[in-house]
Amino acid sequence: MFTLPQKDFRAPTTCLGPACMQDLGSSHGEDLEGECSRKLDQKLPELRGVGDPAMISSDTSYLSSRGRMIKWFWDSAEEGYRTYHMDEYDEDKNPSGIINLGTSENKLCFDLLSWRLSQSDMQRVEPSLLQYADWRGHLFLREEVAKFLSFYCKSPVPLRPENVVVLNGGASLFSALATVLCEAGEAFLIPTPYYGAITQHVCLYGNIRLAYVYLDSEVTGLDTCPFQLTVEKLEMALREAHSEGVKVKGLILISPQNPLGDVYSPEELQEYLVFAKRHRLHVIVDEVYMLSVFEKSVGYRSVLSLERLPDPQRTHVMWATSKDFGMSGLRFGTLYTENQDVATAVASLCRYHGLSGLVQYQMAQLLRDRDWINQVYLPENHARLKAAHTYVSEELRALGIPFLSRGAGFFIWVDLRKYLPKGTFEEEMLLWRRFLDNKVLLSFGKAFECKEPGWFRFVFSDQAHRLCLGMQRVRQVLAGKSQVAEDPRPSQSQEPSDQRR
Amino acid sequence: MSHRSDTLPVPSGQRRGRVPRDHSIYTQLLEITLHLQQAMTEHFVQLTSRQGLSLEERRHTEAICEHEALLSRLICRMINLLQSGATSGLELQVPLPSEDSRGDVRYGQRAQLSGQPDPVPQLSDCEAAFVSHDLSNRGIDISVFYQSSFQDYNAYQKDKYHKDKNTLGFINLGTSENKLCMDLMTERLQESDMNCTEDTLLQYPDWRGQPFLREEVARFLTYYCRAPTRLDPENVVVLNGCCSVFSALAMVLCDPGEAFLVPAPFYGGFAFSSRLYAKVELIPVHLESEVTVTNTHPFQLTVDKLEEALLEARLEGKKVRGLVLINPQNPLGDIYSPESLMKYLEFAKRYNLHVIIDEIYMLSVFDESITFHSVLSMKSLPDSNRTHVIWGTSKDFGISGFRFGALYTHNKEVASAVSAFGYLHSISGITQHKLCQLLQNTEWIDKVYVPTNCYRLREAHKYITAELKALEIPFHNRSSGLYVWINLKKYLDPCTFEEEWLLYCRFLDNKLLLSRGKTYMCKEPGWFRLIFADELPRLKLDEWNMRRFCDVLQEQKEALIVKQLEDAMRE
Repeated sequence: MFTLPQKDFRAPTTCLGPACMQDLGSSHGEDLEGECSRKLDQKLPELRGVGDPAMISSDTSYLSSRGRMIKWFWDSAEEGYRTYHMDEYDEDKNPSGIINLGTSENKLCFDLLSWRLSQSDMQRVEPSLLQYADWRGHLFLREEVAKFLSFYCKSPVPLRPENVVVLNGGASLFSALATVLCEAGEAFLIPTPYYGAITQHVCLYGNIRLAYVYLDSEVTGLDTCPFQLTVEKLEMALREAHSEGVKVKGLILISPQNPLGDVYSPEELQEYLVFAKRHRLHVIVDEVYMLSVFEKSVGYRSVLSLERLPDPQRTHVMWATSKDFGMSGLRFGTLYTENQDVATAVASLCRYHGLSGLVQYQMAQLLRDRDWINQVYLPENHARLKAAHTYVSEELRALGIPFLSRGAGFFIWVDLRKYLPKGTFEEEMLLWRRFLDNKVLLSFGKAFECKEPGWFRFVFSDQAHRLCLGMQRVRQVLAGKSQVAEDPRPSQSQEPSDQRR
Repeated sequence: MSHRSDTLPVPSGQRRGRVPRDHSIYTQLLEITLHLQQAMTEHFVQLTSRQGLSLEERRHTEAICEHEALLSRLICRMINLLQSGATSGLELQVPLPSEDSRGDVRYGQRAQLSGQPDPVPQLSDCEAAFVSHDLSNRGIDISVFYQSSFQDYNAYQKDKYHKDKNTLGFINLGTSENKLCMDLMTERLQESDMNCTEDTLLQYPDWRGQPFLREEVARFLTYYCRAPTRLDPENVVVLNGCCSVFSALAMVLCDPGEAFLVPAPFYGGFAFSSRLYAKVELIPVHLESEVTVTNTHPFQLTVDKLEEALLEARLEGKKVRGLVLINPQNPLGDIYSPESLMKYLEFAKRYNLHVIIDEIYMLSVFDESITFHSVLSMKSLPDSNRTHVIWGTSKDFGISGFRFGALYTHNKEVASAVSAFGYLHSISGITQHKLCQLLQNTEWIDKVYVPTNCYRLREAHKYITAELKALEIPFHNRSSGLYVWINLKKYLDPCTFEEEWLLYCRFLDNKLLLSRGKTYMCKEPGWFRLIFADELPRLKLDEWNMRRFCDVLQEQKEALIVKQLEDAMRE
């Protein structure tokens, strides 16, 4: 049920005396090849066992037991991404390199953003921006964020800058919230499939777990659509966690959802919030894709637009520029909460999650420029997203492959179950490897804790030429005609990367 | 509700008249609210303690508890509001945490007993007022610890001194920031090479730091640390600040409850960083100011002292995983000689301890006759797999708002494990580009920045030390860093940490922010750290800083005399 350590970090380690440490230390300067071959032998530990120090091989003698677990996260999660980075596709320099349809980044609007960020109003440098400032974020930025969210979330009342805390990205926010809302070992409920990196964000510092609310693709009973979240399922998951002795402190909702590309209706949202209130659960609503709803017919509503929140003191909203402004490298995220205790507690950790004053200034300038956002950026961004989405969905239809996607986010949730003879996660992984061997990086369902093997997330928010080539490679694999030979090479049999959005 | 204690010291209103500005309405309201809170708590305790065991009674009790939760939340909010009103006049202070006893009530009791005007009414339990039922215990701990440590700093942020606009505002001689070269930095950062918005800077980075920046950091450290061989970019991890690096290191080197040794006095931020997330204990290796046979200079660190502290910690059953060294030292400004450094490293190796060396002030050595030796300049390290170096631009380049810190470690495992924190401590690609440009320009650094910076530091240091001499205040005279470690013992009677704290409060009352020795875990009461790296005009021409400083000491002196007279008369 949990991806996360079942044991406390304090659990005794496989005993390592000083002598033994030195021995291991001497074998340390091994070359890269040795490193690789060891990785091969080292199978992905069953996720359940991640926290068991014995599982995390004892070849690391310099680290604490939690340090070993943290390193495991790094080694396993980054591996696939590193494979991609070593052989990145480039139209001229490396045309046979890997096409990345796995990382959820919007690469369609760099021209617009680059232009905007190089305007003269962005280049301000002044002493106050170079010095220590309010750890919650510069007031000028928090004011802009409050105005921005009031407008784009259609808040019935103006949102307040004192309820805003600014950090270096959504990951930090998950980490800080997990730490201040839960004790080590407690849990948040999360409907699956979900953006898998949250597991790491809430675990590294917070050492908390995620309790899954498993959703099915099949439409049965009261469900009206695939992977539907209902209060019954929430209740059941909560009961199950309790029966296992796990204390649940909150619920994480992602809306628009990643990887489903779906949105919750105001009525659904209200039901989930009432459920949370009934059980005194915090609700973290991650709205990082809120402006990436490119189909007008999708009636997206921010939780901040609701007339009345059932439990405003326990409702915490997060947003960032990574997705909606396609700048994942900028590292800007923000929390909106009416709960001053939570805001203050998160701000207490901001010393460790701060961002440069100069960037804060640029963000304020960007968010303030309503004309450019409304008249240039959003229409163009949505048009490009829609075109890319149309292309990939047409391709999939032509292949007779079922998929889910309602017009929000950067991805399509693709059902490749018919390509798995036995319908196991091992086969899902094998298929993923065949894609990677054929130089296209995708994300497989297990990384999102999807219950059913065979689902993949396709990111479509990339330039047309890369997208076409990527889809061509996908087609080859599915037709069983990979260009690359079947024998997997060591460097490619590494673990997937879905630890980034 | 475990955080709420039964006794709630009521703030005395004795010093109302002495407040610079009139905020007394807040104080009065706050007093009333605190009384109310106390009364309410007692009332509910009575109500709920009368409970029986029948279902109905229990239900009744539950209902009461719910009411209580609601009321206490409302009251907490009121107190917070009043607090923010009151603190702008600094009528109320939560005591700074002492490591051993947070929210120590003794100060307040003592002040009340002695009939002294309590400079800052004690509200040890208004710490509890900061918290609510929505936070976890560790969340409460973090919040309270932060509030109590940074409340004065936050008050300063809201009410800064300005020579025209706010002459009554706070003057900050407490935060270690170099404001002497803002002109140079502002100019440099506005040059055209600084602005770049390439696609790659806007995309997800390598979480260890962009390769171009790590390469530049390796080159920069090779050059400025005089490394015998080229440092390897693969050994560099770049995060958003040195405190983030320290926090990540503490996480991966220690399990909760384990410890590092740190020679004290030491930079208080480490205590903060090790506690908030990592829950790692810092064990002070106490150094003394007195010069003796074994102590050839004040606050000398010797291997004997390290061994003693280590053995003592082990006797207490503590698991010590490492040693933290700051070089140039903060707050002493001492620089370790290569020989001493080697001894400390060998000591660490002997006991399998990691060594974290913070060299964040390495370019802020402003006396040309003194050479700083980085640990990276050593031909061979006794235990290179356990030696981890931290550096950042906050101090040496005076850009603390940039949020940049780097780790250099030969240990690939440690580097990988720390890299996992890249998600949570990442730096914007745009900022990484600027930093790379900044560090790359060796010519500007060598010919313009460092000479100017050192000259200005020297001048400011000269000015402040002359003033201190005129005031006959002893200080630890060193030529690095942005601070002087001064001894105000003679203003304390008796010489206790309580009195040190009261003096600190007297400074605060006069809107002067200083750091006191206790927060550096100094063993002897009476030491303060004074930052001098402020623009000379502010330091000198306005004469505000020093005038206020002198005024406070004068005031303290008079108070001491009055107290002595009173004592004499009582006898």
